[in-house]
Amino acid sequence: MPEDVVDLLLAQHARIEELMREVMRSDGIERQERFEELVRLLAVHEAAEEQVVHPRGRQLDDVGEAVIDARLEEEYGAKQLLAELARDGTDHPQFEERFLALRTAVLMHAKREERYEFPYLTWELDERSRQRLAEAVRAAERLAPTRPHPGTESALVSMLAGPPLAVLDRARDAVREIMDGHRRR
Amino acid sequence: MFNPLEQQGIPLDEQIRNWREMDVIPIDPDDADPYTRCRIIAMNGIETEAVFFDHHFIRHCPDPEVRRQISYLGYIEAQQQRVVNWLLPGIPSALETAIAYEQVAVDLTAWVARMEPDPYLRQAYEFGVLEDFDHLYRYANLFELVERRKAEKVVDQLTEVMPGRPTLVQHRHPMDNVRDPYDRTAVSPLSKLHALTITATEQQTMNFYMNVGPQYMEPIARQLYQEIALIEQEHVTHYESLLDPGETWWEMLVNHEYNECYLYYSFMQQETDPRVKAIWELHLNMELTHLQIACDLMRRHDGREPAEILAPALPEPVTFEPNKEFVRHLLATQLDLTTLGAGYVREQHERFQQMQQQIHGGQKPPSERVIDMHRDKFGEDYRIEPEGAHPVQTLRQ
Repeated sequence: MPEDVVDLLLAQHARIEELMREVMRSDGIERQERFEELVRLLAVHEAAEEQVVHPRGRQLDDVGEAVIDARLEEEYGAKQLLAELARDGTDHPQFEERFLALRTAVLMHAKREERYEFPYLTWELDERSRQRLAEAVRAAERLAPTRPHPGTESALVSMLAGPPLAVLDRARDAVREIMDGHRRR
Repeated sequence: MFNPLEQQGIPLDEQIRNWREMDVIPIDPDDADPYTRCRIIAMNGIETEAVFFDHHFIRHCPDPEVRRQISYLGYIEAQQQRVVNWLLPGIPSALETAIAYEQVAVDLTAWVARMEPDPYLRQAYEFGVLEDFDHLYRYANLFELVERRKAEKVVDQLTEVMPGRPTLVQHRHPMDNVRDPYDRTAVSPLSKLHALTITATEQQTMNFYMNVGPQYMEPIARQLYQEIALIEQEHVTHYESLLDPGETWWEMLVNHEYNECYLYYSFMQQETDPRVKAIWELHLNMELTHLQIACDLMRRHDGREPAEILAPALPEPVTFEPNKEFVRHLLATQLDLTTLGAGYVREQHERFQQMQQQIHGGQKPPSERVIDMHRDKFGEDYRIEPEGAHPVQTLRQ
């Protein structure tokens, strides 16, 4: 059965939470790897939400402008924290303290989406619309792999080594292209 | 040896807290010690019982002076409840909290069963453990189904998650839920504390499910809460009927306050979170005064010495710890028990079958459907079995 967008986003939230726990519980190289995986997943997930999911939520009477604006603001704040952490690396003396702040911000943001936005996507959109949204989210994921593949590490390293927000911007641009393609079809 | 009757607490007129003191910082939303969360949930059940006991006392007591005293005590207990329950963070969903409630039910009831000196009372706890253990399994499957999270993030591997006595067969005829009470003049003081503790925590579990259940949108979530909330109705009757109805209001008040001292003292001993520990200590020091007041009331109105009905010192502290082997032993030996009258049988007797037909109406209950739905979606049911396969062959994955 084709995937439902809410189901997919929930699974991504669950994976993000797991990765955050793994970052907190590990150290050294392992922590660095888990953190890089988290950065990629968060970048892709948030970009897909911004470009695919929230615009749809904005159109629903029970969600509306104010709820979506608040979510975007939270995403912006989290991205700043994430960018700082990515710039300074997992060895930074304040990494744990700042990571904990990021984690709490991400957890609260995700729960607000799950309470004030996702139920209405399920309630108000038909099955086919929810599946189409899921396809768009998946397409975004393919463009920016969320797991390290052999050969992509160097690209990731350069991505993380560049301006800290580059990874986030790149994911956002990729999703925008997919959405434009969808609209032209 | 800690004898709460000999301790000085915080004076009553210094116990009302302001907003700043009420505004406690909750435990970590994602990485707290599961047993810290269990202690908070258990203590919330105890304080909720205290609040409602005081309300009932006022409804039944004709003496205006005593009513005013109980009103004061009740207000302090209410502040204690608001502080204790507000230690839970807002981020986890109600379902995540429900899973933690079942972890409390399993590990607290198992501990009480292991420590209970009276064989009839012990049987009541052993019987109940296997049912809450099954609820944990049903809610864990619902959790992955509707929220995509795994229950392991809540219970860790401290409590196993696998089928217990199937919720399906826990729907017994209400007349078979009433046990015989202990004899207040003969039973050990520890047994009275056990019965009060488990009655209070199961009652809170019932209150929680019957109130948060309809807040879900997913039909299966609504239905499962409704079903398990009805089992909790049975459990409250099962445990409250163990209490001797011949206890006077004054005696009940003393037992309540003594039990609160016992549990705060117990949890203070093992608490890993220093901020939470400070609250257990503060509340213990408040409860010591409540106990003194209750004892004075009992002396005045009952003409008896409270020491006659209490232990000379607090029993061994109630401890949250894994009970995996104990639960596995119960699974292997008591899974097919049901109740008949005030006792236990292994046959599915006529009244049991009649109830089963009435409640199920030939359909699968939500507790079965949630597992079917999980299997459809993920290929198998959700379990946590670090100690190996299920002890009962037919319940293996």
